Amino acid sequence: MKILDLIKPGNSEQICQKCIHFQNDPAVIEAVYPGLTIMSSGFASVRDQDGLCNYNQLYLSARDSCPHFIPRISGFNRGEIENSVRSES
Amino acid sequence: MTETTHTEVTGINKPSIWQEFWSKEDWWAVWLGLGIVALAYVLYLTGSSISWIAVAPAKWSTLSQLSTQFSKNGIKYLALLAAFLGLFTIVISFIGQKPKAFIPSFIFIFVLSTVIYAIGSWDQANRYNLEPPLLALALGLFISNVIGLPRWLDAGFRVEFYIKLGIVLLGATLPFTLIIWAGPVAILQASIVSLVTFFVIFFTARKLGLDHRLAAVLGAGGAVCGVSASIAVAGAVRAKKEHPPIAISLVVFYAIILIFALPLVSRAIHLPTGVAGAWIGTSEFADAAGLAAAQSYGGLAGTHLGISGTAEQALASYTLIKVIGRDIWIGIWSLVLALISVTVWERTETNSKVQVGQIWWRFPKFVIGFLIASVVTTLIVHGNTLTDYNKLVKPSLILPITALRTWVFTFSFLSIGLTTRFRELAAAGIKPFAAFTFGVVVNVALGYFLSVIVFGHYWSSIVTH
Repeated sequence: MKILDLIKPGNSEQICQKCIHFQNDPAVIEAVYPGLTIMSSGFASVRDQDGLCNYNQLYLSARDSCPHFIPRISGFNRGEIENSVRSES
Repeated sequence: MTETTHTEVTGINKPSIWQEFWSKEDWWAVWLGLGIVALAYVLYLTGSSISWIAVAPAKWSTLSQLSTQFSKNGIKYLALLAAFLGLFTIVISFIGQKPKAFIPSFIFIFVLSTVIYAIGSWDQANRYNLEPPLLALALGLFISNVIGLPRWLDAGFRVEFYIKLGIVLLGATLPFTLIIWAGPVAILQASIVSLVTFFVIFFTARKLGLDHRLAAVLGAGGAVCGVSASIAVAGAVRAKKEHPPIAISLVVFYAIILIFALPLVSRAIHLPTGVAGAWIGTSEFADAAGLAAAQSYGGLAGTHLGISGTAEQALASYTLIKVIGRDIWIGIWSLVLALISVTVWERTETNSKVQVGQIWWRFPKFVIGFLIASVVTTLIVHGNTLTDYNKLVKPSLILPITALRTWVFTFSFLSIGLTTRFRELAAAGIKPFAAFTFGVVVNVALGYFLSVIVFGHYWSSIVTH
C-alpha cells in the first residue's frame, strides 16, 4: 500500500511553520496577492495555515518541510540569520 | 543550515486547533450568524422580534415617500449601523486587523449600501435594470477604477466575510428538508461539471506546456470555488509563488463577466428563477459573484413577464449547487491533488508527505453554520400551521433575518467592486488565458445543459419557506 505511506498522520518537528523562510500571516498574504481579497480572503479556512517560502519561492502548507529548514530563533531577524548561515557555509 | 543547532528555538507559531475558532473569518461568520438567529428566536419566543433593527427601505415611488421613510426610521438605521459596526469591529480585532481603519471604511460601505438598497426599492428600478446586486457591483467598480480610493479604506471591504455571514443567515431561511431532498441532485450535477471543467482546463493547460501545478491551480479555480479553490490547491500542490495571482486574475475576470452575462441570458430565455439559480451555481466561480447574479435574477421574479418562480428559489438552488455541490469538496480536491503532486509531479522538491487532515483543515467552516441555521429554523417552523407561519413566524423571524442577509450581501457585492482594481491584477499570459477560457466555455454550456434540460423540472419546483 505505497499510497498510504505518503499520508502522514501528524506533525514532524522541522515543518515550514517553524522555519525562518516561511511566512503565512494572512495580512502579508493579502498584501503579496492583492487580488485575493476580491473573491476570497487571507483569513479563509480553505487557506488553512499555508504561506510563502522565501527560500524555495513556493506557496505551500505550513506542515510541509524541506532540507533547507532553519528554525526561528529569538532576538534575530531573518536577514541576520540568513547572512550568518551564508557566511558560515 | 547545519550551524543552527546551537540556537534557541522560540517564538514558534504553533498551529493550535483552538486558534482557528477566533482567527478565521469562516468561524466568525458561524458565531455571528448563529448568534443573530438565536437572538431572533429568543425575541420571537418572548413575543417580540428583531424586526425593529432589521430595517430596510420599503417600496417607494416618489422621493418624498423615500424621504418620509428615512425621517421616520432614521434612528433604526443608526441602530443597525451601530450593531453591525460593533460586531464587525470585534471580528476585525480578533483576526488581527486594525479597527481604526475598519470603522470609517465600514461606515462608508454602510452608507453606500443604504443608497443602493433604497434605489433597489424604487418601484421603477427593475424597469431601468437597477437590480441592487448589479448596481452595487457596478458602482464599486466605477469608484475603485475611475475615481480611486485610498488603500487604507480596503480594511472594511471584506467580501468573503460578509458573504459567509450572509450564507449562514441564508441557511436560516432555507428548510433543511429542502437540503436533504435536493442535496444529492446538487452534488451529482455539480460533481459532473466540476470534474469535466477541471480536466478540460488541466489538460488544455498541459497541452499548452504549462506546469502541472499551475494547471491544477487553474483547474480548481474554474471547477470548484474560484479564487478560494485556487489558493487552497496552490498550498496543497506546493505551487510556485507566481501561480496563484495568475489564477486569481482569470477567475476574477470571468466571474465579473458572468455576474452580468448569466442573468442577462437567463432573462432573455425566460428561465424560471430556480433553474437560473442552479445554472449560476454550476457555472459561476466565486460564492459572492454567484450570489450577486442569483439575487439579481431572483429579483426579477414577479416583475418581468415570463420569469416564473420566486427570488428565494433562485438563491436556494444557487446555494445548494454552489455550497453543497461544490464548495464543501475543496478538502478532497486538495488531498487528491497533493497526493498526485508528491507522487508524480514534484517528487524531489520537498520531502513532505500528504496530510489527510487537510480535508477538515480546508473545509469551508461557514457551511456548518449554514446547516445548523437551517436545522434550527426548520425545527422552529415545524409544527406551525400555514396560517400561524404566515401571520407570526414569517414576519417576526424569517423576514427580519432575510433583511439582515440582504444587507450583508450588499456589503459584499459592493466590496467586490471596490476591491477590483483591474490595473493591479497580474497579467495571466496567453496560455493560461486560453486554457481557462476553454474551461469556462465548457462549464457554461454543460451547466446550462444539466440545469435547464436534464434537471430543469427539478430546480423549477423547489420549495422554500
